[in-house]
Amino acid sequence: MNRTLLGFIKKELVQTLRDPRMRVLLFVVPVIQLTLFGVAISTEVKNIRLAAVFDSRDTVLRDIYERSIAGRWFIPARGQEQDPYKLIESDKADAVLVPPPGGFTRALGRGHAPLQLLVNATNVLQAQSVEAYLQNIIQQTLRDDLKFTQPLPPIQFTTRVLFNPDLNTAVFMVPGTLCMIMIITTMVMANIAIVREKEMGTFEMLISAPVSRSEIIYGKTIPYVILGMSNFPLILAVAVFIFQVPMRGSLLVLFLAVFAFVCTAVALGTLISTYCKNQQQASLAGFLFIFPMIMFSGLMFPVENMPTAIQWIAYFDPLTHYMGLLRNIMLKGGGASYVMTHIAILALMAVVTVIASFRRFHTTLQ
Amino acid sequence: MNVFVWRRAAAISHKEVFHILRDPFTLATALALPVFMVIIFGIAIEFNVKNVALAVSDSDRTQSSRRLLDTFGSSGYFLLHSAASPEEAMSDVTEERARAALIIPPRFEMDLFAGRSAQAQILVDGSDNSTVGPVLGYVGTIQGIASQRIGNFTPPNIYELRTRFLFNPELNSRWFVIPGLTVVVMAILAILLTALTVAREWENGSMELLLSTPVQPLEIIIGKVAPYGVLGVIAVAFVYVIARTVFGVPFVGNLAVFGLGCLIFLLTYLAMGILISVVTRKQVVAMQVAMTVGMLPTQLLSGFIFPIESMPVFFQYLTMILPARWFMSIARDTFLKGSSFIELGGAFLALSLCCVLMIFLASRRFKRDLEP
Repeated sequence: MNRTLLGFIKKELVQTLRDPRMRVLLFVVPVIQLTLFGVAISTEVKNIRLAAVFDSRDTVLRDIYERSIAGRWFIPARGQEQDPYKLIESDKADAVLVPPPGGFTRALGRGHAPLQLLVNATNVLQAQSVEAYLQNIIQQTLRDDLKFTQPLPPIQFTTRVLFNPDLNTAVFMVPGTLCMIMIITTMVMANIAIVREKEMGTFEMLISAPVSRSEIIYGKTIPYVILGMSNFPLILAVAVFIFQVPMRGSLLVLFLAVFAFVCTAVALGTLISTYCKNQQQASLAGFLFIFPMIMFSGLMFPVENMPTAIQWIAYFDPLTHYMGLLRNIMLKGGGASYVMTHIAILALMAVVTVIASFRRFHTTLQ
Repeated sequence: MNVFVWRRAAAISHKEVFHILRDPFTLATALALPVFMVIIFGIAIEFNVKNVALAVSDSDRTQSSRRLLDTFGSSGYFLLHSAASPEEAMSDVTEERARAALIIPPRFEMDLFAGRSAQAQILVDGSDNSTVGPVLGYVGTIQGIASQRIGNFTPPNIYELRTRFLFNPELNSRWFVIPGLTVVVMAILAILLTALTVAREWENGSMELLLSTPVQPLEIIIGKVAPYGVLGVIAVAFVYVIARTVFGVPFVGNLAVFGLGCLIFLLTYLAMGILISVVTRKQVVAMQVAMTVGMLPTQLLSGFIFPIESMPVFFQYLTMILPARWFMSIARDTFLKGSSFIELGGAFLALSLCCVLMIFLASRRFKRDLEP
């Protein structure tokens, strides 16, 4: 590495880290965010407000209701209203159990017992879970209350959940949020580093200085790769030590994957910066790219569920590959061919974007 | 001297309008981006898990085991591919070629005919929480169907749970996602639109000029927020039309209630952007702060996908300072439930408080700058 480039990198790092607020934003805030999201977010639907309409003789339904409340998914609804629809409409309950006329217990005695469940479906995810939870509880209650044992079906499945048997949300969320935090710090920083100079007019000075075009590009990108990489051990430590996310794969492979991703993100930021005139544009462009990247990455919605055409877009999202890699390496120990393929894809993306930004630079400079 | 003069605020607005018009990229982004995002993700997002890749290792190879595979295949939930051995099925999961594995042991049919329960093993990839729940549910359903088809077993049916899903009877993912998506997109956009405005003036030196005029901080803030507010409302109107026409999302509430909520919500986020700008005074820092505050918390903590009710109690209270959380419930309830203004009173009150607080803080911080 030549001295000009070294000086350039040094200047860039000093300029970025000179502002103490920037140091906080780059090193402290990611840790806070990771902790916050790791603790707060749960994909399991809980605290569903349940109400049931029953009189004192309807012992089975009362038992179902009490068991639901005693479990971890439901809490009692607030309202005293009798009309089940109104309870939901006025947002006092999320779900209401309504027995057939005469009560659920008596209907069971007659041999045919329809039980109606009203669910507020404005939240689709919640509505889906409510039904499944209640089916379980009702079956169990009937088994215990009526001494009614269903004969076992002839085909039995033994199910095992691999890699995260307790379905601990943090194990799944933390690697995901880690990726999201990293894309914001790396891509935005790299993008703005160039746009800022353009807006201030110092870019002209840089061009007239005795540095080559590649030195400018490397000098403007390598510092942000360094920053992105130095950020990673810190958030990894939070993930592993605070959230007990397992680290089953090789640390070396993990760092290789992170490096490939950081390079891609920085290169992408640089490419975008060649299209932006000022920092306002750079910030909107950042949104234009980062928001879809996060949405397509598979953290909030599984990519497999998307229509095929849209899945193709997701394959062009570096974050999709990075998130897949991180989860695969950390939770599954890294499947050799999967890891190699996706690191290669990330590397290819990095190379293509670097070449593209070289070209763009060429035209911008003239 | 210290009174609020509309004319001066209007003058600032006038200037800001010119600034927006001069930069067609910003204008186009602000108007087109929300529509674009809603269309793309309205198509993309689907919560009903389908086509789960299932690796199958069948060591029994009998008519019964083939019928079991057939039941899985024809259910529509799974896409089957065969693996040579249980180990290979397992490695398919590790290599991300399968989300789940079905392992049928050699004695499957023999056990079934002998009247013992026939066992098969299902391994589910737990590294993606969002598919585990649905997959386990499907497995339960298929167990019932397979027992009936292969083992001629009909469970006695003494009760029946009839579920009625109110406000979204078919559990259409789009009806749920699009109003929420609008909230998230508009929040981030609004914060980014104004986050640089004041910092930019400080960096360019034009702030000194502005300060030498009799204009007051509140006038500057109102003047800067107003044009972007108009821009935001137009963008939401576009999104509303797309949601109704392209995606067929019903709107059963009062449009005026939704519109009012939208306006307060946009003002809150625009003012938050100004506050960031006033406090940081540097565009680089302002942008990083805006991205940090705007992007992840609104996506993850506003109740957009991850329900607030499921959070630990402390965090449920913490989300109350997030204006997007309040407009999220206003938007969803006006779209699907048709809640009235009174029913949403709490959310409106909270949202207005956030709005006033943001404008107040922004002008307070501004004042200190004026009188050093």
